[in-house]
Amino acid sequence: MDTPMADTPMAQGSPTARQAPDLARLRSRIASAERRQKIFAIVGVLCTSFAVLVLLAAFLDLLFDGLPRISGDFLTNFPSRRAEQAGILSAWVGSALVMLVTMLSAVPIGIGAAIYLEEYARKNWFTDLIEINVANLAGVPSIVYGLLALGLFVYQFGFGESVLTAGLTLGLLILPIVIVSSREALRAVPIHIREAAYGVGATRWQMVSDHLVPYSRGGMMTGVILGMAEAIGQTAPIITIGALTFIAFLPPPPIGAEFPFLNFEWLMSEFTVLPIQMYNWVSRPDKAFQLNAAAAGVILLLMTLVMNGLAIYLRYQVRKKIKW
Amino acid sequence: MADKHLSTQFDAELSGVSTRVLEMGGLAESQVVQALYALVNFSAETATQVLQLEERVNALEVEIDRELSAIIARRQPTARDLRLLIAISKTIGNLERVGDEAARIARTVLRHANSGVSNRLRLPVADAEFAAGLANASLRKALDAFARLDAESALEVIRDDNQLDIEFDGLLRKLVTYMMEDPRTISSAIDLVFVAKAIERVGDHAKNIGEQVVYIVRGEDVRHTGLAERSTVMATPAPTP
Amino acid sequence: MVTTNTTRMTGAIKAEARDLSFYYGDFKSLKGISMALEEHKVTALIGPSGCGKSTFLRCFNRMHDLYPGNRYEGGIDLKPDNVNILSSDVDPIEVRMRIGMVFQKPNPFPKSIYDNVAYGLRVRGVTARSELDDRVERALKAGAIWNEVKDRLDDLAFNLSGGQQQRLCIARALATDPELLLFDEPTSALDPIATGNIEELIGEIKKNVTILIVTHNMQQAARVSDYTAYMYLGELIEFGETSGVFTKPERKETEDYITGRFG
Repeated sequence: MDTPMADTPMAQGSPTARQAPDLARLRSRIASAERRQKIFAIVGVLCTSFAVLVLLAAFLDLLFDGLPRISGDFLTNFPSRRAEQAGILSAWVGSALVMLVTMLSAVPIGIGAAIYLEEYARKNWFTDLIEINVANLAGVPSIVYGLLALGLFVYQFGFGESVLTAGLTLGLLILPIVIVSSREALRAVPIHIREAAYGVGATRWQMVSDHLVPYSRGGMMTGVILGMAEAIGQTAPIITIGALTFIAFLPPPPIGAEFPFLNFEWLMSEFTVLPIQMYNWVSRPDKAFQLNAAAAGVILLLMTLVMNGLAIYLRYQVRKKIKW
Repeated sequence: MADKHLSTQFDAELSGVSTRVLEMGGLAESQVVQALYALVNFSAETATQVLQLEERVNALEVEIDRELSAIIARRQPTARDLRLLIAISKTIGNLERVGDEAARIARTVLRHANSGVSNRLRLPVADAEFAAGLANASLRKALDAFARLDAESALEVIRDDNQLDIEFDGLLRKLVTYMMEDPRTISSAIDLVFVAKAIERVGDHAKNIGEQVVYIVRGEDVRHTGLAERSTVMATPAPTP
Repeated sequence: MVTTNTTRMTGAIKAEARDLSFYYGDFKSLKGISMALEEHKVTALIGPSGCGKSTFLRCFNRMHDLYPGNRYEGGIDLKPDNVNILSSDVDPIEVRMRIGMVFQKPNPFPKSIYDNVAYGLRVRGVTARSELDDRVERALKAGAIWNEVKDRLDDLAFNLSGGQQQRLCIARALATDPELLLFDEPTSALDPIATGNIEELIGEIKKNVTILIVTHNMQQAARVSDYTAYMYLGELIEFGETSGVFTKPERKETEDYITGRFG
């Protein structure tokens, strides 16, 4: 049978036959790459789930033990020898006050140092040295800070075992974090914005205060909050400087009825903080106190989560406003 | 000394259009040579060939102009390239008119041939031949100068145009003499006057082409200038390396 | 070296570079440049990458002072008071108050449109709201962007398109009535229509300001400038009226560059 297309290349099959092997090889390569991808995805999911589950398990365990114990009383009672009546009032007030001092000491120094190092200091071996050491400070064990504070603040300066000492100590502790994150935030401001400011006739200080600091505010605040979230759980340095574990009173309120309405007695007052209270309860044999400790732990965890959440929210807000 | 553009395409376009111009020039030259031959040897056949070339020359003018527009639009040429393209545009106009003049001569020859008058006139065709030779040489020299971008040579062409004008004047006087001596020769003589005029115009066009070459090379427009001014132009040094 | 023939200029001279050399550390990046800028005219700097045109531009507003290791030699005289703005006695902040700059990538501040333009005025001590309003409006009109933003002056500048942002930056620079305005490849990041708008704008504002523009786009230099300077490897090779430079340059190097025989 004489088909009209008998001797065209298509019929002889040579070009199509030439193409087919290439396509097939490509397809098999794509298939194997996709297989590898799937395997990696599965492994990834497994690892992540494992990590999450472990954390979740720990958290849930704490929650089961502690949640029933949390009540209005718990939050407003002082510690007591009777577990059912014990509360964390002095602990969380103490924590809050210490955090206040921490923030007030770390933020100005940290941000100021960051601005100086980033904008004003000459770039030479000395500043390089300072940079390296600031980062290294973050790795110093917290108890060392406690020892330092004991010698310096408690005895040398005579601040005693007070809220002030604790705040300053923790301030020192988180200083590297604040400095480093503030520097990163400053560095994130692109050079062309700085040049634009100079180009319009701004001085260095005007550029820093009108542009650099406002634009990096978000990053700096994030750094501060993360530092504080770390500080709130610090136990070792607080123990070292001698925070008492059984405090049944609150530091004097900063705002008084008589002139001057603000007083600073509370700074020098003795105090306790949540981690210490937890530690104290946990070491008691009574099972009920263990539950108290768990409850306090839940509160502490909640405070940390809230602070971290705040940092994330802030970062999101800042990202929305500023796009480089 | 880099003479090539970074864009080889641009180089190719420029050399392409220059080659076409030379092709057109060659055709125009042939037309003049053949028209002259037809005149001197009274060859109707050659005259017809001249007219056939005419079509090709006109077509080239249109083509080259179109190419020029395209290059200018796409390449935004500057300096030397810009001057080259502007000069080419004018040159092909001149070449096209050279073709027209040659065609005019050829048509005159044909008219005489077809009218059957045996042109054994005692007319100074020889003189016309001489003038035409000068004009033709001018044209060839001008086209050579364009091909080599030789400003000196181009300037000589411009200068030599004077001689052709003198020849033309001489020819005119001779023809008047003939016409006065023998009134029967008047109509042929008048035809010859127009032929002479055509030859003179060929020389003018050659001069124009020479002026364009100077513009390309030196960037100076020497049209309508006198000898003194032109000498100044040539004395000014070319763009310094 | 090329010496500028200032007698060709019909107007007054706004600024003149005198044998200006510049060192990045040990590297001599500008070699003895002498060039005059005519008042209310646009002078363009062209040349291949690395020829020093941006370096030269940034000498005019002492931008190099912001980074360590740089050194000037020679001077730039700003007329009519003939002060050498490169002298160490002269405060760079003061120089930048008289000479403005528009940058390659549009760089408005992450502030509102109003605050962007007003910042330069605030830095100069203008605080009265009515005066600020007035001058901001004038500047935005001079920057050919008033109609597009007059109803949303409090919007963030970042919400504008690239071309609009650049015009805002021009308005910001114009708000302080500079004597000399420097443009550093202002349209290289913009699309052709935005580019055309900016070129048109430059033609308008040159009536009041002297302009020095660096561009790597030769056709832009040809379109926009009155004078063109060709630089190569830190030297000024040729300087002249733009139409002359682009039809009959004096130096072969200039011709080779502008015709694309070397890039």
